[in-house]
Amino acid sequence: MDQVSDEEVEVREEEEEEEEDSDKEDQDLDKMFGAWLGELDKLTQSLDDGRPEPPPQQKAPLRQETNMANFSYRFSIYNINEALNQGDNVDLDALMADLCSIEQELSTINTKPNSSSSGLARFLLNCHIQSIRQQINSLPLSLSLLKHSYLDRETSLILRNIAGKPSHLLTKEEQAAKLKAENIRVALEKIKEAQVKKLVIRVHLSDESSKTMMVDERQTVRQVLDSLLEKSHCGYSADWSLVETINELQMERIFEDHENLVENLLNWTRDSQNRLMFTERIEKYALFKNPQNYLLGRKETCEMAERNKEALLEECFGGSSVSVPEMEGVLWLKEDGKKSWKKRYFLLRASGIYYVPKGKAKASRDLVCFLQLDHVNVYLGQDYKSKYKAPTDYCMVLKHPQIQKKSQYIKYLCCDDIRTLQQWINSIRITKYGKQLYTNFQEAMRRSEAAYDWSSLSSSSIKSGSSSSSLPESQSNHSSQSDSGVSEMTSSGHTRSQSVVSSIFSDAWRRGTQGEVRTHKNTQSFPVSSLCSCGLHFPCFPSVNLI
Amino acid sequence: MAAWDLSVTVEDLGSDAPPVTISVASDLHVGGVILKLVEKTQIKRDWSDHALWWEQKQQWLLRTAWTLEKYGIHADARLLFMPQHKPLKLGLPNGITLRLRASFSCPVFQTVMGICRMLNIRHPEELSLLRPVEEKKKKKDKDLAEEIYDLTEVPLSSGTLKIQIFNYRLSEKLDCNRLTFFAVSRPCLYNGMPAHFVDSPQMEAIYKMLSVTQPPPAPEVIAKQYRPASVVDKAHINGRWLDSSRCLMQQGIQENDRLWLRFKYAAFYDIEPKYDVVRLTQLYEQARWAILLEDVDCTEEEMMLFGALQYHISKVAQSEPQMLSTNAAMDDLESALMSLEVKMEGENSSASEFNVIVCFRPKRLTLKGYKQYWFKFQDTSISYFKSKEESIGEPIQQINLRGCEVAPDVNVASQKFLIRLLIPAPEGMNEVYLRCENEQQYAQWMAACRLASKGKSLADSSFQSEIQSIRSFLAMQKTNSHGNAPAGDESINTHSLVSPRYHKKYKPKQLTPRILDAYQNVAQLSLTDALMRFLQIWQALPDFGLSYVVVRFKGSRKDEVLGIAPNRLIRIDLGVGDVVKTWRYNNMKQWNVNWDIRQMAIEFDGNVNIAFSCVTADCKIVHEFIGGYIFMSTRSREKSDTLNEELFHKLTGGHEAL
Repeated sequence: MDQVSDEEVEVREEEEEEEEDSDKEDQDLDKMFGAWLGELDKLTQSLDDGRPEPPPQQKAPLRQETNMANFSYRFSIYNINEALNQGDNVDLDALMADLCSIEQELSTINTKPNSSSSGLARFLLNCHIQSIRQQINSLPLSLSLLKHSYLDRETSLILRNIAGKPSHLLTKEEQAAKLKAENIRVALEKIKEAQVKKLVIRVHLSDESSKTMMVDERQTVRQVLDSLLEKSHCGYSADWSLVETINELQMERIFEDHENLVENLLNWTRDSQNRLMFTERIEKYALFKNPQNYLLGRKETCEMAERNKEALLEECFGGSSVSVPEMEGVLWLKEDGKKSWKKRYFLLRASGIYYVPKGKAKASRDLVCFLQLDHVNVYLGQDYKSKYKAPTDYCMVLKHPQIQKKSQYIKYLCCDDIRTLQQWINSIRITKYGKQLYTNFQEAMRRSEAAYDWSSLSSSSIKSGSSSSSLPESQSNHSSQSDSGVSEMTSSGHTRSQSVVSSIFSDAWRRGTQGEVRTHKNTQSFPVSSLCSCGLHFPCFPSVNLI
Repeated sequence: MAAWDLSVTVEDLGSDAPPVTISVASDLHVGGVILKLVEKTQIKRDWSDHALWWEQKQQWLLRTAWTLEKYGIHADARLLFMPQHKPLKLGLPNGITLRLRASFSCPVFQTVMGICRMLNIRHPEELSLLRPVEEKKKKKDKDLAEEIYDLTEVPLSSGTLKIQIFNYRLSEKLDCNRLTFFAVSRPCLYNGMPAHFVDSPQMEAIYKMLSVTQPPPAPEVIAKQYRPASVVDKAHINGRWLDSSRCLMQQGIQENDRLWLRFKYAAFYDIEPKYDVVRLTQLYEQARWAILLEDVDCTEEEMMLFGALQYHISKVAQSEPQMLSTNAAMDDLESALMSLEVKMEGENSSASEFNVIVCFRPKRLTLKGYKQYWFKFQDTSISYFKSKEESIGEPIQQINLRGCEVAPDVNVASQKFLIRLLIPAPEGMNEVYLRCENEQQYAQWMAACRLASKGKSLADSSFQSEIQSIRSFLAMQKTNSHGNAPAGDESINTHSLVSPRYHKKYKPKQLTPRILDAYQNVAQLSLTDALMRFLQIWQALPDFGLSYVVVRFKGSRKDEVLGIAPNRLIRIDLGVGDVVKTWRYNNMKQWNVNWDIRQMAIEFDGNVNIAFSCVTADCKIVHEFIGGYIFMSTRSREKSDTLNEELFHKLTGGHEAL
C-alpha cells in the first residue's frame, strides 16, 4: 500500500496531461495504473467504512437514461481466471492499465462533471476495477470470494453472459459485496447496450511466456500486431503473426492481417483451451517472397529474379480480377465419421474445391463440388498421423470458424509432402481473399521498411517493394542494375546478363518501339525482352533468328 | 509527257454504266485523276469520302499526291472510284444485327476504332471483326424477318469533329462541367448518350438496344445455336478473325456483308461503369453466350450461379429505370437517404421485430413431427415460445442467425415452404427447419433470415426488396409448374439461363430451386454490380480467355492445340486432352514469323525455343494474338488515354506494315 501511495503523487500530474491530450491515454499505462490504484484505494477505504456509497435516488434516474448506454463500454475478460491462478508473475499490471484506460475514456466522454450519470458511470467502473483489485489482493486467501464474484468465471468471455444470472448473486452474504454486486449488475446492463466491445486477451509468445492485453473489437490483426511489436521490441519483420491454435482439434491458423481479431476470438468457447500465439512465421508471406513457387502451378521449387517476381505478382494481383492459381492433384480425404483416408483428385477453382468423381474425366462439367470457400477457413493440422492415422503429417483442415469441437462438418485433407500442403493452403488463401492478401503484404512490408529506416539510419540501401530481406545478395545485384544504371556504361550491348534481359516484357516493349526491327529473308523478328531496363545502353537489337 | 487513256468505273453511276475514260499522263497525281473524273461525271455531290481502288493489286490509292507512275499504274489498270465507307451488317455480341457505315479503306484496327466510337465503346483495341459462322438456313426461318437496326445515317467517323462540336454546343448550354470530358478522351455524353443517338427516337431506341441487356433467350434459340463440342471446334472459330493490319476491301469483304464484332482479347482494361455502359453490356452479352454455348467450361455450381445472375440482371434491367446520366445531385440525394435510413434504423431498433407462428423442427429430433411454436424475430436473432401468451417471458431458445447459411426448400405446388438454417456452433452445424404456412409468411421470414445471416436487422432498407425478390422467384416456380408460361416479364423459363446440357439433365421445375439457391447470394446486387460480378466469375474460370489454334509443332507428327491466353501460351495434347506445357509471356524473349513457310518460332528465357506451323488459322492470326496480348499488357503503364496505334501495328503487323 505504501508503494501505491508513492506512485499516487507522481501520477496525478500524468493525469492532467492526459486530459489535455486524450489520445495519449494508452501511452504510459503503467503510470496510469498507479494512479488508479490510488483512487481505488480510497474507494476501498470508503467501502470498508461501511458507508452506503450510491444513494438510491441516484440510481433510479440512471436506469431510465438510455443515453447512458453510449457512455458505457462493453468489455470482456478472457482467461482472467487463468491469469489469477498463475500467481506471482501475473501480468496484472497491464490488465489493470487497460481497465483504467477504459475508465479514462469514460471520463473524457463525460465532459460534464455535474452530470449524475457520468459520475455514476465513473463510480460503477471504479467499483468494478476495485472488485478485480480485491480479488488480486486476496487471491491466496479467499477462494470462496472468487467463486462467487462476477469475474472469476472459468475462462470468462463476455460479461453480459454473466449478467443473465442475477439470482446467483443474491446468495452473497456480506453487505458490501452485495452492494458491489448490485452496482456491477447495473453496470453490466449498461455495458451490454454499449457499442464497443473490448476483450482482454492473453497472447502467448514462443518462449512460453505470455502477455495480457486489451483489444478493441474494431481492431484488425495488423493493428494488434503493430501494438504488440511496439511493446515487445522484438525487431520488425513482416513474418510476425498472430496464430490461433485449437488444441482440442490439433490445428492452427495464421490470422490474416485484415481480419478482425475480436470477431475471431469470440468464436472460442468459454472453456476453450485455444491459444493465441505471437510468433514469426515465414509461411505467412512466403507466397509473396517466392511467388514462382505458388503461382505457376509448378511441382518443383525454383529461383526467380526479383524483378520477375514483381512482374509476376503485378500480373496476378495488379489486375481487376485475381486469378486463382492452378491447383490440382491427388489428396487424401478423411471420410466423414470414418477413420480411413481415401485418395481423390481435387481441383481448386474460384467457386470452391472440387473433386473428380470416380470413372470420370477432368472436364469441368463433371466435377463434384467438395466445398465452397465462403464460410470456411483453412487450418493446418498438427500431428494427424497419430491423432487420425493420416497417411502423412501434412494435413489441412477446412471448417467454419465457429466450429470448435469434433464434427462431421470439419473436412480433413492430407497431402503427400509439405510443398503440396503449402501450395494448397496458399492457393486457398488467394481464392478466399484475393487482392486483399497482397495489400496486406505490401502494408506489412511498408511498415517493416519504415522500421528498418528508423533502426538503421546509417545504412543507405533501401529495399524495393517485394524484395525480402532473406536475399540480400541477389537483390543488391538487381538494384544496382536497374536503379543506378550508370555503372553499365562500360559494358557493351552484347554482353548483357541474362537476368537483365528477362525483364518485364511490357517495359521492354515500350522501349522496343524506339528501336527498329530488321527483317531478313522474309523472317520477321519480334524481340520481347531484348532490351535491358534502360534502352539507352543497348541500342543494338539481337540478331535475327533464321528459320 | 505522253497522254494515255485511263478508264475508271464510277460506282455512283450504277453497275451497268460503262467506265468513264479520262486522258491522263503518267506524271499526273492521283488527286488530279479524281478531279478530272468528278468533272467528267457532271454530278454535284460530296465526293470527299471517295477514293480509287485498284482491283488487280487489291489496293486503295489513298496518297493523292503520288503520281500514277509512282503507283505503277498503266492503261490496263482496272480502277474503281467509290466511297471508302460502306454499309456493313454488324452482328453484335448481344446477337442483334446493326447496319452501319464502316471504313473499307483503312486497316481493320482503325475500322473497329471507328465503329466503337460510333457505338460508344471505349478501348476498341480489345475488339475486332470476324467472319460469322454460316447459319444453317432452314425454310422456316425465312419468314422470320430479322429486325435490323440502322445506323448508316450517322455521320461518318470523319465527321467526329462535327459531332464533338455539336456536342460541345449542347453541353455548354447545359452544364459546363461536361466539357472536362474532352480532356480525358472519354466520350462526351448528352443525356448519357453520345450526341448522335439523341437525334431521334429511332436512334435512342438503338442506343437502348446497345446499352440494355437482352432478355434471356428462349431455350430453343440456345439449342439451335452452334455449339463447339471440342477444343478443335473451338479452334476453328479463331481462323475467322480478320487481319487487323489490312483493310476490309483487301480481305474480300463486300458492301452489306455480314461481320461479327466481338471482344477478341480477354484483357478488359479499366472498366468504368459510368462511361462504359455499352461496353459493359456487350461484354456481358458475349460472356453470357460463352457460358450458354459452353464456349467456356464451368461446373454445375458455377452454371447455377451464372443462371441466377442472368435472372437477376434481366429482372433489374427491366425494372430499373436506366440511369443514363450520372448526376451528382442524385448521388447526393442517395447518400442523404442512406444516412436517413441509418438514423431510422438506430431509432427503431427495438421495434424491429415481428411475430408469426411458424413450425420448427430441430433435425436431430423426430423425423415426422413439426412442432408449432410462437416465433419472434428480433435484430438478428429468432426466439421461440410455447405460445403467443408466453412470448413476453423467457424464450425456450434464442438463436442468433448471424453467419448462418439459409437455404430454401420450397415447392409451391405442394404448398411446402421450408427454410433450412444451418447455424454454426462450436460442436458443428445445427440444422434447423422452419416451416411456414403460406407464401406471404415464407417470403417475410426468408427475407428476414437472409438479412440476419448477413448481420442486418429487419430495419434494414433492403428488407422490402428482399421480400419482393423472393416472391417473384416463387411466382416463377408457379408459372413453370403450370407448363406453358405466359409471356409476362415475371416469368422466365429457367432453361433460358443454362446451357442445353442442363435442359436434358433437369426439368425447369428441378432447376428453379437450384438457381434460387444461388440467387440468394446475388439478389441484392445493383445492375452494374451484378454485371460486374458475372464478368468476374467468368474471368475466374480456368479456361477463360483461352483462344485455341490447332498447330503442328516442329518435329512433331501430329496435330496439337495451342492455347493463347492473356498471359501465357499452353500446349494441349489432343490425345490426352490435357495441358502438357505452359509458357509465359513474362519469360518470352522474342518471336519470329517466317512468312514464306508460315511458321512461328518463339524463344523463351533459358534457351527454350518452340516452333510451329498453324493449321486452323493463318499464322498472321496467331502472331496477332500474341502481339496483341503484349500490346494489351503495355497499356497499364501508359499514362495517357490515347491509343498507341503505331505500337499495336508494330507488334501485330505483317511485313507490309513495316
